[in-house]
Amino acid sequence: MKLIAIGIAVASSLFAQAPPQEAQPAAASTSAPAAPAAASPVPSGEQILSGYIDLGYRWVTGVYGSDPTYRSVVDLGSGPKMLGTDFTILDPKKRFFDRIGVRAYDWGDDPYSTLHVDVSKAKLYDFSGDYRNIAYYNNLPAFADPLLANGIALNEQSLDTRTRIGTYRLELLPGRMIVPYLEYEHNANNGTGVATFVADANEYPVASLVRSSTENYRGGVRIELSRWHIKLEQGGTTFKDDQQLNQGAGPTNYGNFLSPILGQTLDLTGLSEAYGVRGHSIYTDASFSANLVSWADLYGTLLYSEPVSNVNFQGFDTGNQVIEAQVLFYTGEQDLISALSKQPHTSASLGAEIRPFSRLRLIPSWLTDRMHTSGSSVGQDTLTTAAGIVPMASLLSSTLVTNSSQVEMNVMYDLTRKITLRGGYRYVWGNASDGILPIAELAGFEQGKIRQNIAIAGLSWHPVQNAWVNLDFEDGSSGSTYFRTSLYNYQKARIRGRHQISPSFSISASANVLNNSNPSPGINYSFLAHQESASFVYAPAGGKIWDFEGGYTRSTLRSNINYLDPEFLIPEQSFYRDNSHTVTALFDLNMPGWLGCKTKLAVGGSAFLSSGSNPTTFYQPIAKLAITLRKNISWNSEWRYYGFDESFYLYQGFRTQMVTTGVRLTR
Amino acid sequence: MSPHEAVDVGDKHGFKGNACESCHGPGSNHIQSLSAVDIRNPATLSPAETDKTCLTCHRNQPTTSGRLEASHARNAIACTSCHSIHAHGPEGLVVRKPAEINTLCESCHIDVKASFAEPFKHRVPENAMTCVDCHNPHGSFKPGLMRMASANEPGCFKCHGDKRGPFTFEHAPVREEGCQSCHLPHGSANAKMLIRQEVRLVCLECHANLPVPNTSGIVTGVVPPAFHDLTSPRFRNCTICHQKIHGSHIDRNLLR
Repeated sequence: MKLIAIGIAVASSLFAQAPPQEAQPAAASTSAPAAPAAASPVPSGEQILSGYIDLGYRWVTGVYGSDPTYRSVVDLGSGPKMLGTDFTILDPKKRFFDRIGVRAYDWGDDPYSTLHVDVSKAKLYDFSGDYRNIAYYNNLPAFADPLLANGIALNEQSLDTRTRIGTYRLELLPGRMIVPYLEYEHNANNGTGVATFVADANEYPVASLVRSSTENYRGGVRIELSRWHIKLEQGGTTFKDDQQLNQGAGPTNYGNFLSPILGQTLDLTGLSEAYGVRGHSIYTDASFSANLVSWADLYGTLLYSEPVSNVNFQGFDTGNQVIEAQVLFYTGEQDLISALSKQPHTSASLGAEIRPFSRLRLIPSWLTDRMHTSGSSVGQDTLTTAAGIVPMASLLSSTLVTNSSQVEMNVMYDLTRKITLRGGYRYVWGNASDGILPIAELAGFEQGKIRQNIAIAGLSWHPVQNAWVNLDFEDGSSGSTYFRTSLYNYQKARIRGRHQISPSFSISASANVLNNSNPSPGINYSFLAHQESASFVYAPAGGKIWDFEGGYTRSTLRSNINYLDPEFLIPEQSFYRDNSHTVTALFDLNMPGWLGCKTKLAVGGSAFLSSGSNPTTFYQPIAKLAITLRKNISWNSEWRYYGFDESFYLYQGFRTQMVTTGVRLTR
Repeated sequence: MSPHEAVDVGDKHGFKGNACESCHGPGSNHIQSLSAVDIRNPATLSPAETDKTCLTCHRNQPTTSGRLEASHARNAIACTSCHSIHAHGPEGLVVRKPAEINTLCESCHIDVKASFAEPFKHRVPENAMTCVDCHNPHGSFKPGLMRMASANEPGCFKCHGDKRGPFTFEHAPVREEGCQSCHLPHGSANAKMLIRQEVRLVCLECHANLPVPNTSGIVTGVVPPAFHDLTSPRFRNCTICHQKIHGSHIDRNLLR
């Protein structure tokens, strides 16, 4: 009965005077000065319940252009919505809890719905629960679509799924020296889509049923003393993936290859495939830090995991198929595969901060990561041909071994109270091997290694209070590296600064550059990317009447690398160019006396324009109007527009606008 | 109630009834002179000195054990850049709500904020995700302050569990260089947050059919070579057939 009474009290008074937590438009959120005060619906006095709820309705006027792209990028729909709520419940007697905090946003068939609950009782426990329900829709027209010339945009890889992630953590005796904790996490992905059934000479889009989930359990203890701490954690996971592919009764599926082979047309008349993947793992996470003498700190980490996957795959298909190399036509196939893979993975780090003098800090560190994956599979493939049953068996084993380590030394010197210089050196080494036995088909066996020497430099400058500038620089040279596009001989620099010029005006700026090249014969890779950004926030009188923020970013990317055209082995170069401009702005205006109500208007949005290999424009203007009708009720409305265009793929463009209106009830 | 009230009411830190002095130093002279000079004001200290004040109590905690590996500490970003020491929030000394977390991070990382204005991105601007879902601002074993899942696995697998494996037939770059080999997680103009506008170019830059150079070391990822006729639209999107590109449990060519 008490629970019912609390529920009724919550339902009847869910209306809080709190700073609104509003979903901001893309890149139009308010930049705040660093370290803003935690803005929570802090109860005034001993009010048992305080908070707010936003209820409303959204109209999407219709999507002009590609609806699949709209759903892949935006995916907001019409209908009634619970746009957000944030409330706090206090127990004045502090019997079972001191405080319950609840936040939830975007419920009502929105593509991302979240719920977060915190329950705490001082010195006894902290509990947090976090739940997210995120839609993943991807149906972008495929560039390989063989029917595209006929105006049919068919994507053979599309997904319409929902991922539900729940994380629940209980921490006991918070703030004490020994803090045990438990955590459970659930992640499930369910939905439908289109996948491809690949036969030897043709591939067929077929229906896919996606069902996978991961459970993660862990528990540990933190022991925190004045001179040292240690954290010991043990966990485990279970995983299952039951994806299914189906081609049921209906029109014959002719796939992508419509030309007859030796006078025979290839087709798929039936398919049933089921992946039965079951996985589990154990893992250990241990870390420590120690401050045994006043001039040195030690820290270290040891991480170990050993995931295992077991697979029982069954497939059955009918139609007219061919193995081209053997000129073997068949009308049915049954495929049974069992597979097992293990991946013991050990990581460790050790480091120290040594302070021999007041201005000097030495930070040596060592890190290693060793992962050894091994797998095996046994398959039995049975073909039904005109000549009878043809059985084919396979036995494969695979390995992927990656060992890498690095040592690093950083020296930091406080030149003055306002300037800190940093210099250092990092050496990275490792080896990797990847093989499948017996060597056949396209995959084989290869080995690689990495050797990199990297010089590090940096500067931190705090010229005045509320201002800082950081400069980072790395110069790396490699004797060898794993991949053609890996960092090889590179220079990476970043400068970033911020200045709160006055209480009402702040500016930020940053610039990054990465120059990477691998001149090795056959690779000839050159990559250059740089990005310059500036932003400001102007809020005169603390934004009482109006405030304005804006930002601009210019980004340039240039990449060239050689390859041979696959079929004719003609030398080609992969060019990629991207020059983009991004502008964000938001203007807020408070009109205290307009219509006799307290009114707030916000106008802004973002614009992204790029040229180069994939010229794209993406506009997201937004306008909001909030009118406080009564002390506890305000009327909020929002208009948004989305406009997306790609010059080379015009059929992917879309534009739409939407209006959301509703009330905020506060208490 | 501020979490720092524990300093005032508890014995653990040795400042019971005198919590202000734990950060601001002895206050007797300040009380007598009423001069700001006679009290330690962390806001006017250098970042190293500010951190030293905070670390007096917080040095030996798991949250700070990765601090020395973190770019924030190395760039002299003081604890007070993100934490409001005097804020009396029930949820602690730092913002906790998604929109506020993202705003706090974006106030310095304005270039990253711009990336999220691109069409293909994670749901950060909508505040369905926060920066700290993927990054640990205190420090991490991985570059870029990336969070980890299940001890030492990339944090990406926390949500993308079906990509986790282990797979009987792995795609080596996923393990050796991570998801960023092919994806731009902050945002991209290319579908699926890819680094190139067409899938085939992502693939061909490694599977280039060129001899493995031996003069300056061995390069992996070249095998297997590509051999398809790219003039046919059938083959311009490699992942149409090689759909298990993140790793396959049953097929060595990542076809299923």
